[in-house]
Amino acid sequence: MRRRQLLKSTAGLVTAGAWPLAAMAVDDAQSRPILVAIELSGGNDGLNSIVPHGDDAYYQQRPTLGIAKDQLLPLDDHFGFNPGMLGLQRLWQEGQLAIVHGCGYERPSFSHFTSMAYWHTAAPHSGNEFGWMGRVADQLANTRQEDMIINVAASQSLAVKSRHHTPLVFDDPARFQRRRWMQSTQDTPAQTHSGNRGFLHAVNTSAVTSSEKIRQAWRNYQTPVDYGIAPLDLPKVTACIQAGLPTQLYYVTFRNNAFDTHVQQPALHRRLLSYACDGIYGFIKDLERIGQAHRVMVMVFSEFGRRVPQNANMGTDHGSANVMFMAGHGIKGGHYGDLPSLTNLVDGDNLAYTTDFRQVYATAMEGWLGVPHEPVLGASFNTLPVFA
Amino acid sequence: MQRLLGGPVGLYLACCLSLPVAAELDLAPIDAEQWDAAHAAHLLSRAGFGGTPQEVRALATMSPDNAVGLMVDGSKRRANNSEFQHSGVFEPGLDPFPPSRPATTAMAKAQGEALGVKVKAGGNRPLQPVVNKFFYWLRASRLETDRVAYWWANRMLLSEQPLEEKMALFWHGHFATNEDKVRDYRKMLLQLQTFQALGLGSFRELLIALAQDPAMLVFLDAGVNTKDSPNENFAREIMELFSMGVGNYGEADVQEAARAFTGWNVQGLQFVVNEAQHDTTQKTFLGHQGNFDGEEIIDLILQQPVTAEFIGSKIYRYFVSDALQSADQEQLGSLLRELDYNVGEYLRVLLLSRDFYSPDKRGERIKGPVEMMISTYRRMGLSEVPGVPDFNVVSGALGQRLMHPPTVAGWSEGRSWITPSLMFERGNFVLDVLFPDIGFVPPDRYPSYTAEIVNVQNRLRQGMSVSAATKPTGVDSDSTGMAASNMLTDADEDFNTRLGSMRGWQMALERVQPIPRRPAKLNLAEQVLQHELTTVAQVIDYWESLFFSVALNPEVKADLVRTLRSELGTDNLIDAQSYMEEPLRKVLHQMLSLPEYQLG
Repeated sequence: MRRRQLLKSTAGLVTAGAWPLAAMAVDDAQSRPILVAIELSGGNDGLNSIVPHGDDAYYQQRPTLGIAKDQLLPLDDHFGFNPGMLGLQRLWQEGQLAIVHGCGYERPSFSHFTSMAYWHTAAPHSGNEFGWMGRVADQLANTRQEDMIINVAASQSLAVKSRHHTPLVFDDPARFQRRRWMQSTQDTPAQTHSGNRGFLHAVNTSAVTSSEKIRQAWRNYQTPVDYGIAPLDLPKVTACIQAGLPTQLYYVTFRNNAFDTHVQQPALHRRLLSYACDGIYGFIKDLERIGQAHRVMVMVFSEFGRRVPQNANMGTDHGSANVMFMAGHGIKGGHYGDLPSLTNLVDGDNLAYTTDFRQVYATAMEGWLGVPHEPVLGASFNTLPVFA
Repeated sequence: MQRLLGGPVGLYLACCLSLPVAAELDLAPIDAEQWDAAHAAHLLSRAGFGGTPQEVRALATMSPDNAVGLMVDGSKRRANNSEFQHSGVFEPGLDPFPPSRPATTAMAKAQGEALGVKVKAGGNRPLQPVVNKFFYWLRASRLETDRVAYWWANRMLLSEQPLEEKMALFWHGHFATNEDKVRDYRKMLLQLQTFQALGLGSFRELLIALAQDPAMLVFLDAGVNTKDSPNENFAREIMELFSMGVGNYGEADVQEAARAFTGWNVQGLQFVVNEAQHDTTQKTFLGHQGNFDGEEIIDLILQQPVTAEFIGSKIYRYFVSDALQSADQEQLGSLLRELDYNVGEYLRVLLLSRDFYSPDKRGERIKGPVEMMISTYRRMGLSEVPGVPDFNVVSGALGQRLMHPPTVAGWSEGRSWITPSLMFERGNFVLDVLFPDIGFVPPDRYPSYTAEIVNVQNRLRQGMSVSAATKPTGVDSDSTGMAASNMLTDADEDFNTRLGSMRGWQMALERVQPIPRRPAKLNLAEQVLQHELTTVAQVIDYWESLFFSVALNPEVKADLVRTLRSELGTDNLIDAQSYMEEPLRKVLHQMLSLPEYQLG
């Protein structure tokens, strides 16, 4: 109970001095704050990530899938990290990791694709043509600009779809190039068309304008930092930041629904978490190396958590509320949001959410980017006092 | 056709005519008098993979009924599709394949053997042979799956009934199953053959076949679906993605349906029902009560009007237009239900309809990667899918690697195919076809996606110990910054994962047949002369009609004409015929790099 009260007393407060960078009176594109959203697709099992070893109900719900306290990486007297989460444990020890508990929304959807669309649009049960990050970009600039959002991906996320801007989407920066044959191939001059033809021309213009910058950024980048085995495309983000791109919004994904651990979860989940956390830790260290860590905040989410009781296949099924992470030099490490109860379960053995995930989005917008959240989210949300 | 006129379609069209036309899709057949080459080209591009000038001409001389009939029913001649030639990589002991390397080594430790390989009686790394075998099958199955994809791509290119393949491609995206998880090319091939055989028939048969399909059962973890622990994932995806669409059932329906599917399992390549694990008790599903089994659940699903709307609309979006109003979904659903879920008959109506040929539908669809590649090859007149560039590498880079859809929801179609970098990739594909890369490295020989194992092999060849040779290259391993995932790799002395990965590739290389690496056999100069073109401007006009579904901007065309003329040094093709191949290819690359080339 002590912990619960402590958390309650800090949640929901907006601290006036929480704009470390946004409030600075500079408008140099290369000193603006940067937000990096990291999507763990498939529904990360938050309960086996930040493990409440101090709660007996956890072990009752997960008699064989629960991770014993001595297997966990130390966090505090109530929680421990999944043994794969060395990277985030290091950030926690450095006071740079905010763990936000119980993130979710009313009447949760248990469909990956529906729930992910809710998170992408920040519009549960209603929807929006544009993504939340795309709408943030529209707030930052209401006429078309290049390089507003970078989405490292094979195909564009709904989260970055914007009314005014064409997100710069690429997978392998080295391949982001129109190959020519003896200088003969010309770039297509910009043309105005409607429908899909107009869309194709807009994308083409974006590609022509930005590809050389991205390739050069990647060519000029090398790092001694160990990002682990599958670093979530974060080295590419570092390369863009190092190159001085004006981009403030980045979006990367742990792809292909990887965290959907219905069967034989433990080894797989640990491995996935180690990849993700290694990548995030390497990213922060690499940013320190290039002197940019003060500008960057990382936000980590998944479309839902997993069911509290384990299933019969050493795995877990689709659930609802989940932990989110915010990390970086500007973050004041600690727990935020009320802990969901492991005994009063709702919606078929699921956690009742305690924090609307849009509070976390709003926090990043207001507190880090200096963008008012109401026009983006269409409603007012209490932000969290996560900033150092 | 008789079936069409006498059967439910006739009834449907009759009742359609009596209804007010407001806000409805105009599904009445187009007038035969309007039928021309442009219509035929549109039909070939949507119902197949585009046509050569000869194919367009042949179709244009038929009646619309017969042209559509040819696409839907195929020709009288039996398709001379060749069978897939197996390399012979499978061995007993590899099926069932454990879900992970840790599961494999755990099994080997517990049972003394796994994957048909015994644990060494003593000595160093006793589990290494098992780990090697694990990686062998991972690599061999993946490489053999790439050969299956090549085989399929060649069918798309050469089939006498391209709609069968186009529809199989649709169903592959609909019942999206990924070899990365199935890890058995034989099951992937079997599933593909089901799409090819049943794709234009009854959706009921297809849905049941897929619910009992070995690759699907493995992919959705149905093998662990027992009465004490029903697998909701399987039931959920069947309803959400394969039939009804989200929001048309409750969580309780998911749980009840899951019980009905309990005991459904797979043994090798066979569907089996494990009666002891099947839940025979009463279920309540979508308001119905009974002791339902899986097939009965599927029949209840098919009775729901939303199911026909969901499937009918998805087919419409794929073949006609993704700008479908939600009000029109009901109309499409009724049609599909009246046709008893017969997909071929449904397509016959769509492909004959005025709606399908209306000007706002033509040239407005963004071609999917595989469709774009195959239609490029067809229109270039190729008789095989080139080995350079690699079909799977290119389609993967463009976002549609066959047998590897990104999630169980398949590929998002339409605009999501195009990003700034993918726009370039599409043009680069054309360059790679027209000017094959002499630095090409075959990805079925060189391990491009795990290139680190080549370093491991080289260090072993230098005589280094396994521990030293398998340290990651270039990582600063003495500092405290070493990543957890890199520390884990050699934590267990019983085996070495990187060594296994390297040996697995070596073993797979010995067994998997190489993909033939012939570049495209092109002769643009000959094609141009065969069409009796004599001037540069005629070439650009000809290519515009051959490759494009929309008219190009006149200035862009004038620029292409200027470029080609300057490359040839003359306007006269006859004068330039001995050296015009390379200039033609140069300008065709420029032309097919236009954004408009992505529209079909």
